[in-house]
Amino acid sequence: MRPRNTWRILWKDLWMGPRSGIFLWMLFLPLLITVLIQLVFGSLFEPKPRLAILDGGDSEIRAALLAMEGIETTLLTDRAELERGVEANDWDAGLVLAAGFDAALRAGSKPLLELFVGGESHASSRLVIAVTTIDLVRQVEGRAPPVEVAIERLGDGELLPLDVRLVPLVVIYALLAPGIFLTGLVIVEEKERGTLTALLVAPLDLRDVVLAKWILGTVLATVMALFILVLNGGFGGQASTVTISVVIGAVLCAEFGVVMGLIAADQTQLFAMLKGLGIFIIGPVVFYIFPEWPQWIAMLFPTYWVIDPIWSSAVLGNGLGEVWVDLLIALALGVAGIPVVLLLIKRQLARGAAGAP
Amino acid sequence: MSRPSRARIVATIIAKDFRAFARDRLFVFLSVLGLVFYVLIFWLIPATVNESIRLGVVQTDLAEALDRLGEEEDGALDLVHFASRDELAAVIAGDLKAFRTAEGELLLLDPDGDGEKPEGAKRLRLSIGLAFPPDFVARTAGGERSRVELLVDVQAPPELEGAMHSFVRELAFLLAGQEMPITLPEEQTIVLGQDRAGDQVPFRDKMRPLLALFMLLIEGMALASLISSEVVSRTITALLSTPARVSDVMVAKVVSGTILAAGQALLLLLAVGAFTASNWYALVLTVSLGGVLVAGAGMLAGAAGKDFMGTLFLSMVFLMPMVIPAFGALFPGTASPLVMALPSYGLVEVLLGVTSYAEPFSEQLVLLAGTCAWCVGLVGLAVLALGRKVNTL
Repeated sequence: MRPRNTWRILWKDLWMGPRSGIFLWMLFLPLLITVLIQLVFGSLFEPKPRLAILDGGDSEIRAALLAMEGIETTLLTDRAELERGVEANDWDAGLVLAAGFDAALRAGSKPLLELFVGGESHASSRLVIAVTTIDLVRQVEGRAPPVEVAIERLGDGELLPLDVRLVPLVVIYALLAPGIFLTGLVIVEEKERGTLTALLVAPLDLRDVVLAKWILGTVLATVMALFILVLNGGFGGQASTVTISVVIGAVLCAEFGVVMGLIAADQTQLFAMLKGLGIFIIGPVVFYIFPEWPQWIAMLFPTYWVIDPIWSSAVLGNGLGEVWVDLLIALALGVAGIPVVLLLIKRQLARGAAGAP
Repeated sequence: MSRPSRARIVATIIAKDFRAFARDRLFVFLSVLGLVFYVLIFWLIPATVNESIRLGVVQTDLAEALDRLGEEEDGALDLVHFASRDELAAVIAGDLKAFRTAEGELLLLDPDGDGEKPEGAKRLRLSIGLAFPPDFVARTAGGERSRVELLVDVQAPPELEGAMHSFVRELAFLLAGQEMPITLPEEQTIVLGQDRAGDQVPFRDKMRPLLALFMLLIEGMALASLISSEVVSRTITALLSTPARVSDVMVAKVVSGTILAAGQALLLLLAVGAFTASNWYALVLTVSLGGVLVAGAGMLAGAAGKDFMGTLFLSMVFLMPMVIPAFGALFPGTASPLVMALPSYGLVEVLLGVTSYAEPFSEQLVLLAGTCAWCVGLVGLAVLALGRKVNTL
């Protein structure tokens, strides 16, 4: 084997690439899935109430609203801007506090409270803003409420939101598309064009070619998975552990791709294999979506050892100390696959010598 | 032998382009799969907007007043009445499952038990509830201080907890006969703009322009890829050894790119129910302009790119920013001037206005004129770039 040859083939694949739309899909679809999951299950359906405040003086209500968690506030100085923005749905509501509002309130002179509501604001947002504002007004007035409200928090908070539980699905797709599918495809395309057979008469080792494809899949899968993780909330404060987990996952996925590419005679066979094996690849993801299911079943799937360290570090914020066993098993699976790859290369050489694709 | 007409030459090149697309069976398969996928996603997204806060309540002498309040607040409150504080707490904690039967009755089931959900019953998920004492109204009205429990799921949004806390206090103030210490305007709620409370545009309707744009962009990228490969393999120069002129090739590329992109986008809009008897012509015209826009951008990327990766990069640079206005439309509020300056802004606004807000097409003409100007500019640039490229091959 010559590293120089591997590098040349890799460079060619990276820069010349397959001239079909598939490459575009491989890059585009994980992004699309991320976007759709964020749109369908993310925060867009439960927007926080947005309130614009125009304070003519120095009201305590303004200060309390600005410090409040859960309501997005914007401080304005122009009444026309407030009305225009509320009408254009830039804010759900606009609160106008005249100069000396607090003093008038305490003096019992019932100052005017102007609360503009946007036509497109949700009824729930209107209610939240209205009752919160009136409660603050009462607090500034200084009268004690004739009720005691005791807050009790329930639940264990262990069930993560669905958009977070779907992160493994998006990440496995980002690893799968370039790692398994694209790697398999570039090998199959070489077979279909007859270039792999032609290599038998060239001063190249087939292992150089396969290694180049493996690295290509690993690089693309790593880049895509890291990018997708950034889009889905970052690295959970464990950038190095996440990166190591993603690289190992990408190596393993690209190895699957190499095996599939070497086994499949053409694109149709490759598709058929992917369809057949799809459940084994995607299987563990379902257990993250339904955490009440017996989790040990997920461990039976090889891709569990790829996805779990990424989930554990990127989403749960665990360090290398907590994920090293998973990573070790993933590496062991990768090493166990190397003899299979070598065997398939040998088979490919034999088929090439016999004139088969 | 007579020289074939320009139209015939252009038609022949267009037919060749379609054959080139169709030959890449995998890409055709993925295009169809993508179309199905987009349509499926659209129909999976809820068709209604949930504007209400679901609030569990344990109360005996306040039930009617609370129900009336729930109705008065434009459906902002969805009240679920419980018989006891412990049942309410168990549902919020997830130890019991709550269902509302078709008759509107509340049914509680143990998740580990044998009880089955009755037919037509709807699962109620609760994250917040209020447990009032039995004599709350009488005691508060009599000037006595009561104790109300606010039961909250730990994952409930903080503004919800704050609002319900405020709600109980204000309710107690009013029951105690303490009027609000403020003057409200004559019209208590001043609504600016068309009041859509209870009649919001569903989120999925706002997604139509985004899905149509995705479809257009994919085809724009495919056209860029096709032109790039024709330039690299010099098929494009081979064409010029036939009676075809450079201008014929350009026209054919714009037309084939537009038909492919706009055709699929229109098919998608049809599948997601965007067409009505009054907007079909506006949609066809707008999407066709969108097709020209992405064909121009795709041609420009294909002509400027030196190889596949270069073309891919340029396609991303030219085409991806066009998605931004469609994303912007999903979020409430005015688009920034930067977003308004993007070529696809007018296209998205017209699609949104016509399909989601039933705005008259005549009000969209200024936006459409802007899109036309972008089409002329991009196609002009693409023709120049591709012409130069072909002449230097």
